[in-house]
Amino acid sequence: MTENHTVLRMNFWSGLGVATFAVLLLTWVVPHYGGRGFAVGMHPRTLATLGAWIMLVCALALVLLSAIALIRQRLPFFRLPKPGYLWHQTWPFLFVLAFIVLVDRFPLTWVAPFLIGSLLLVLGERRWYVVLLTAMIPAIGLYGLTAHLMRIGVV
Amino acid sequence: MKMKLLGTALLSSAVAFGAAGMAQADEFPTKPLTLVVGFGAGGSTDIQARVLANVLEDELGQPVNVVNQPGAGGGVALARLANNTDEGYTFVFGTSMTITFGPLSTETTYDLDDFRYVAGVTLGQSAMVTGEDRPFGDSWEELVEYARENPGTSYATQTALDRMIIEYIARQEGLDLRIVPTSGGAGMAPLILSGDVDFGYSGGTHSGYAETGEMPVLLSLAEDRLVAFPDAPTLQEAGYDINAAEIRVVMVPKDAPDAHVERLAEALEAATQDERFIEITEERILMPVTYLPEDEVTQTLRDQVEGYKALIEELGGLPDEE
Amino acid sequence: MIGFDAILASFAAALHYESIAIILGGVLLGYIVGVIPGLNRAVAIAIAIPLTFYMSAYAAIAFLIGLSKGTAAGSAVSAILLNTPGEPSSAATCLDGFPMARAGKPRKALKVGLLASVIGDLLATLLLIAVAIPFASVALKFGPYELAAILIFALVFIAGMAGGSFLKGLAAGGMGVILGTVGLDPETGAARLTFGHAELMEGVPILPLVIGTLALAEMFVQLDEYRRNRGASVIKLGKDKQDNLSFREFKGTLPTIFKSTGVGAFVGALPGLGPSVGAFMAYGLAKRSAKDPDSFGKGNPNGIAAAEAADNAVIPASYIPLFGLGIPGSVSAALLVGAFMIHGIQVGPLMLRDHPEMLFTLFSGMIVASLLMLAVGWYGLRIFAKVTSVPPHIVIPVVIFLCLAGIQVQGYGTFGLVTVFAFAIFGYFLKKFDYSFVTFLVAFIVTPMLEMNLRQAVILSGGDIAILLDRPIALAFVVFTVLMTLHLAWSSYRQWRQKRLKAAGS
Repeated sequence: MTENHTVLRMNFWSGLGVATFAVLLLTWVVPHYGGRGFAVGMHPRTLATLGAWIMLVCALALVLLSAIALIRQRLPFFRLPKPGYLWHQTWPFLFVLAFIVLVDRFPLTWVAPFLIGSLLLVLGERRWYVVLLTAMIPAIGLYGLTAHLMRIGVV
Repeated sequence: MKMKLLGTALLSSAVAFGAAGMAQADEFPTKPLTLVVGFGAGGSTDIQARVLANVLEDELGQPVNVVNQPGAGGGVALARLANNTDEGYTFVFGTSMTITFGPLSTETTYDLDDFRYVAGVTLGQSAMVTGEDRPFGDSWEELVEYARENPGTSYATQTALDRMIIEYIARQEGLDLRIVPTSGGAGMAPLILSGDVDFGYSGGTHSGYAETGEMPVLLSLAEDRLVAFPDAPTLQEAGYDINAAEIRVVMVPKDAPDAHVERLAEALEAATQDERFIEITEERILMPVTYLPEDEVTQTLRDQVEGYKALIEELGGLPDEE
Repeated sequence: MIGFDAILASFAAALHYESIAIILGGVLLGYIVGVIPGLNRAVAIAIAIPLTFYMSAYAAIAFLIGLSKGTAAGSAVSAILLNTPGEPSSAATCLDGFPMARAGKPRKALKVGLLASVIGDLLATLLLIAVAIPFASVALKFGPYELAAILIFALVFIAGMAGGSFLKGLAAGGMGVILGTVGLDPETGAARLTFGHAELMEGVPILPLVIGTLALAEMFVQLDEYRRNRGASVIKLGKDKQDNLSFREFKGTLPTIFKSTGVGAFVGALPGLGPSVGAFMAYGLAKRSAKDPDSFGKGNPNGIAAAEAADNAVIPASYIPLFGLGIPGSVSAALLVGAFMIHGIQVGPLMLRDHPEMLFTLFSGMIVASLLMLAVGWYGLRIFAKVTSVPPHIVIPVVIFLCLAGIQVQGYGTFGLVTVFAFAIFGYFLKKFDYSFVTFLVAFIVTPMLEMNLRQAVILSGGDIAILLDRPIALAFVVFTVLMTLHLAWSSYRQWRQKRLKAAGS
């Protein structure tokens, strides 16, 4: 077999996730929020339902195929990720999300130097002039773009 | 002209003096203003808005920045304006349909009473149009005849409003129409020009074909006959009691201070007499410029909403109402 | 009809140093804006429109033409170097451009892209000038029936070349279909999956979707990789001796370029399909007709050439229905209408009669802009290819910032930021679990067009399928689609059997 074990496991679990999501779409989201009304041509929900069915069928087939392969090769269905791995994966998202919350309150132009600067520091940059320049130049650029070139005010 | 302007200026500052004291009235605007357009950059509303911003800048003595907030046929910009507390420093330039029919046809977070309508500055020119060499020519009456004899005559719709109007007309005249959805003027034009669809709604696309005659107008949806197509009757003249006239208006949140609204209105009135604004609107976009003061435009919009509500009731509710 | 002298005179006008300077200004502005990830044509337009108020009609239009070319070429640069396309249509360029740049050949990738885009653009422009306008009315033969049939064909065609796992590609496509239906139903006006957000009524805005799924998600992936193997720089520039485009290699891509230009010009001439459909269809065709389809997606120069040539051929071709019929066939065509409007010229069939000098000046401006683009791009790529030697820990924060800035600048507000973030998570999962973003993106872009045309067709025909007999073009595409599906099924069955045999043999 050419596929390695990780790919098989990944296919199995992601397929399971997609299938669950598709079931959720089919049974709850699309019927409730998909829109209603009478149409001559196609019902408003037709295409969304079709899309969800495609997801469901493909994901189930994927789950089935990778499960068969896993069983045949007597491989374990899951291997717990190393501790810290999950955190390692999530913190960049939380970091950006935190800044999005900040941008909701304050203009991006003022927040930007902190966004760039702190990420640089986290990534291990210690030369102060590099941090300063990388943090300031894009923000100044954005200020010039919005306040002078596009004239939409500071965003 | 100048005297009249001066007069309004004096009058309004006098009113403001009584209401809020000299300082506030004289100060507005003290910082740059923002004109929001509910459509993307480069469209006819956007271009007109940018010229308007230039003119207002001269009138108000502060920069007027143009910001595009496209989405939901102008609805996104209005939804945001309703929550704006900028005291008139931020205002939307948009079309009346978004505010009159929008809240009736879709769920919106705003309605007519959430805004003040500083002034109407331009009258829309929407119409029912058709193509060249149709069996019914370019006369509305003959079209109605033709549609009565040919069930399944097709109509291209673009907005929920024109769909409602045509459904009303179809019921009135006993027509069996096939109503085809299209996306904007660019989606409607090929269907009409190719003859795949018999007739349709057009917001302003037909103005571009005024000279070639490739897109004759059957019916004017404005209050008066169209400037470029004086032969086509209006809705009222054709015997339908609907006022669907589009007005391009400037709106501010309802709690904007009176003095600010008045100062804006003054500047807008001057803008409707400015050559730059008149040229772009009447000669390029081909829509007539008029100045409709706040009370007049608000009344018109209110009447339109009432009219639409009655129409919806008569048609037995909107299709998606539960 | 306009005389030969007048045509020559208009070309001379375009070659005047002033007009060259203006076009160059537009190209440069567009190129710089396009190169910056997160910013794209819409930003460049917003900068340019107020400027054009103060220009003469000719200058304004020349400026905007230059701008349009500049953003397209610039967007390809960030697509190739950083895997962050500025426009949805450059997403196809990423497929082979980024792997090639990663393999240490960023310059070669950029050169192939630039040459293909300029050739595609020039050929389509010549087509526009030489033959197309009198034949523009042919586009009217493509009504809702034909467009629906073509779009279904395109979907099947592109799904077939998704590569990787077919099942996963199709599942991602399903998600694209669902997201493509979000917004007001075109027929009943019912709000679908908007959850009460006015921002979603016209559908999920494509810009936050593309920036999130492709650009921002890519930064998260690179962040992850960077922290895993700290110190290993991503791309080394100039270290690889093969990082240059030899004439032989260039000649090898020419057939692809010509074919893709044809696809792009066809798609562009039909109103409403747009450059993304053109670029992905050309990419699919190049992959399908290649001797080594497996090398696509791993840095095959033909992949870059196909995507770029078609993407750029669509734009001049979309001016065919514009000048022939007055119908803007693409976003950039609609923009041109606006620019003409400011200066009092009604775009449409009458232009050839009333303002022929304008039309030919425009055409010559387009050619000049193409050539200037070649020059700017040629020197520009030397500078921008250096981006790849900037350490990733500096690139990543700046690009994350630019993604957010692109959203803020275009007025999407907090809603846009949240959307971008949500799609970044989505795109991250797509990449991590190797689901194809191609099928997702294509399904998302095509679904609304397909739905609209399909509905129109069903309503107009009254549900009578026999109408296809009256519409030979539509019928032909339906037959193609069926054949394509059968072919796909057959070839995947054969692949599966070969794999089984191999597995059994080993």
